[in-house]
Amino acid sequence: MQFGIFSVGDVTPDPTTGRTPTERERIKAMVAIALKAEEIGLDVFATGEHHNPPFVPSSPTTMLGYIAARTERLILSTSTTLITTNDPVKIAEDFAMLQHLADGRVDLMMGRGNTGPVYPWFGQDIRQGVNLAIENYALLHRLWREDVVNWEGKFRTPLQGFTATPRPLDGVPPFVWHGSIRSPEIAEQAAYYGDGFFHNNIFWPADHTKRMVELYRTRYAHYGHGTPEQAIVGLGGQVFMRKNSQDAVREFRPYFDNAPVYGHGPSLEDFTDQTPLTVGSPQQVIEKTLSFREYAGDYQRQLFLMDHAGLPLKTVLEQLDLLGEEVVPVLRKEFAAGRPADVPEAPTHASLLAAQEVSVA
Amino acid sequence: MKLVVVSAGLSVPSSTRLLADRLAAATARHTPVDVQVVEVRELAVEIAHHLTNGFPGRALSAALDAVTGADGLIVVTPVFTASYSGLFKSFFDLIDPAALTGKPVLIAATGGTARHSLVLEHALRPLFAYLRAVVVPTAVYAASEDWGAPGLAERIDRAAAELAALMTGLTRSDAAIGSNAVTGREAGAGSAPDTADALRVVPFEEQLARLGAA
Repeated sequence: MQFGIFSVGDVTPDPTTGRTPTERERIKAMVAIALKAEEIGLDVFATGEHHNPPFVPSSPTTMLGYIAARTERLILSTSTTLITTNDPVKIAEDFAMLQHLADGRVDLMMGRGNTGPVYPWFGQDIRQGVNLAIENYALLHRLWREDVVNWEGKFRTPLQGFTATPRPLDGVPPFVWHGSIRSPEIAEQAAYYGDGFFHNNIFWPADHTKRMVELYRTRYAHYGHGTPEQAIVGLGGQVFMRKNSQDAVREFRPYFDNAPVYGHGPSLEDFTDQTPLTVGSPQQVIEKTLSFREYAGDYQRQLFLMDHAGLPLKTVLEQLDLLGEEVVPVLRKEFAAGRPADVPEAPTHASLLAAQEVSVA
Repeated sequence: MKLVVVSAGLSVPSSTRLLADRLAAATARHTPVDVQVVEVRELAVEIAHHLTNGFPGRALSAALDAVTGADGLIVVTPVFTASYSGLFKSFFDLIDPAALTGKPVLIAATGGTARHSLVLEHALRPLFAYLRAVVVPTAVYAASEDWGAPGLAERIDRAAAELAALMTGLTRSDAAIGSNAVTGREAGAGSAPDTADALRVVPFEEQLARLGAA
C-alpha cells in the first residue's frame, strides 16, 4: 500500500499570528514538504491545480519536475489535474515529459474542478463539466497509446495525423486515477478504463464515500478488469497530531475554525465525529485511518492533507515527522495483515512495464 | 402511501404547523397515508452548515431523504418580506433539482394579512414548477383573520382532495432517469435496488456515444 500527502496549495493567513505567507514562501514550502515526504519514507506527493487566488499551484508539472530533480524515490502525482479546462494534448505532453525526467516516478489524478469562473477563463462551460471530462480523457488516453492520432470531438479542434511528443517513457502511459466526490459518472469512467478511483473522503461522511467506492468496484468488475476487490482505490485523509490529544485539539482549533471550506461552520467536535478528520494522538490517527478499510475495502493509496489552513511550515514538518515515525509504519503493518494475496498494489511505472512485457511476450 | 409535510414555521406553537396538520389530516380523510412531518425550524443550524460545508448532518439527511422518497408533499411556509421564508427556501435549495420531478405537491402559506396571499402564486408555485413537481391547483393561504372566519376549512378540503387524487392517480416516474440506468448493486442481482441509497450510473459507452467522440 502507498502512503503520501496531497496539498491544495492554499495561501491562507495563520489565524494565530495574522501573517500571510508570500506566494514564493508558499511555493517553496510545498517543495520543502515534498522533500520531507521522501525523507520520512512516504511514497507519494501530490499537488493540486488551481487558477485563482488564494492558491499557488497553477503549473503542476513545473513544480513536480523541480521536486523530481531533488528526490530519488517519491512518486509525483496530482490532486487533481483539471481534465475539463486543460487541453488534453498539453496534458499528454507535459506528463510524458515529466515521466522521462523523473524516470517514471509519475502518475496523475483527473478532476473536473468546481470553481465556476475557471471554465470560461479557459474557454469552457461548467455545465459541460462531465462531458468535458469524458471526451478530453478519451482523447488523452489515445494520445498516450497511439503514435498517430486522427480525432474529432465536440469540444476541441480536430487532430489529423497528430503525434504527442515525447512518447510516454518505455511506451507506458502514466497510471491515471480519477478523483470525484459525488459524481457517479466519474466512478463509472474510472471503472470503464480500469483506472484508479480516488475519493477525497475528507469533507464528507463515510457512508457517502462507501457508496461511491462500492459503485466503482462493482463497475470495475463489470468491465472485466478483475474482481471488485481488485479495483484500485485511493482515499484522502486529514490529520493533526500531538503526542497528547488535548494538545492537538487546542493547537489545531484556531486553524480549523478559520479554515477555507469548513471554517466558520460546524464545530471541530462535530466535524471529527462525522468525517475522517482526526485531531488527536498518533494512536487515534492510526485507529481512524484503519477504519477506512471497513467501508472502502482493502485499498491501494492513502493520501493525507497536512499543510492547509495557514499552518506554518515548521508545524507541518513536525506533523510529517510524527506521520513518518509513528503512524505510517504501523499502518503499513496493519493494512498488510489480513490483506488477501490477490488484491494488487497500486500500479507503478515498473509494474506497468513488467505487465506490458508479459503481454508482448 | 407516504405523505411528507414540510412545515417552516418558527414559533412554537406555530400557525404554519397548525395549517400543515389540518392539511395532512384532510388528505388522510381522502386516501390512506402515512404522515411524516419535517419541522424545518429544528434543522436550521444543519441547513446553514450544509450550505457552507457541502454535506448534510444526520437529521437533515434523514429529512431530505424523507422528502425525496415521499409519494406526496404538503409544504407550508410563513410569509416573510413578501415571499417564502429564507429558511424554507434554503431547505429546498438543498434538494436535488431532479428529486421532486413528477411529485404531487400541495403549497400553503400563513401570514398576518390576506394581502400577501398571492405569494403562493408568484413565489411558491414557480419554485415547485422549476423543480418539475406537479402542484395541485388549489393553494391554501391562511391569514390571521381566516382562523376565525368561514371558508378556510373548505379550501383545505378542496386542496387536500386534489392532492389525494394526484397521489392515487399519478405515481412518481423514474422514467426521466433512463431505463438503462444501473446502480452500485449490480443490476439484476435479485432484490429491487434501494433507490434512496444507491447511486445511478449511465453505462460508459452510452455516455461516450452521446458526445459522438471518435
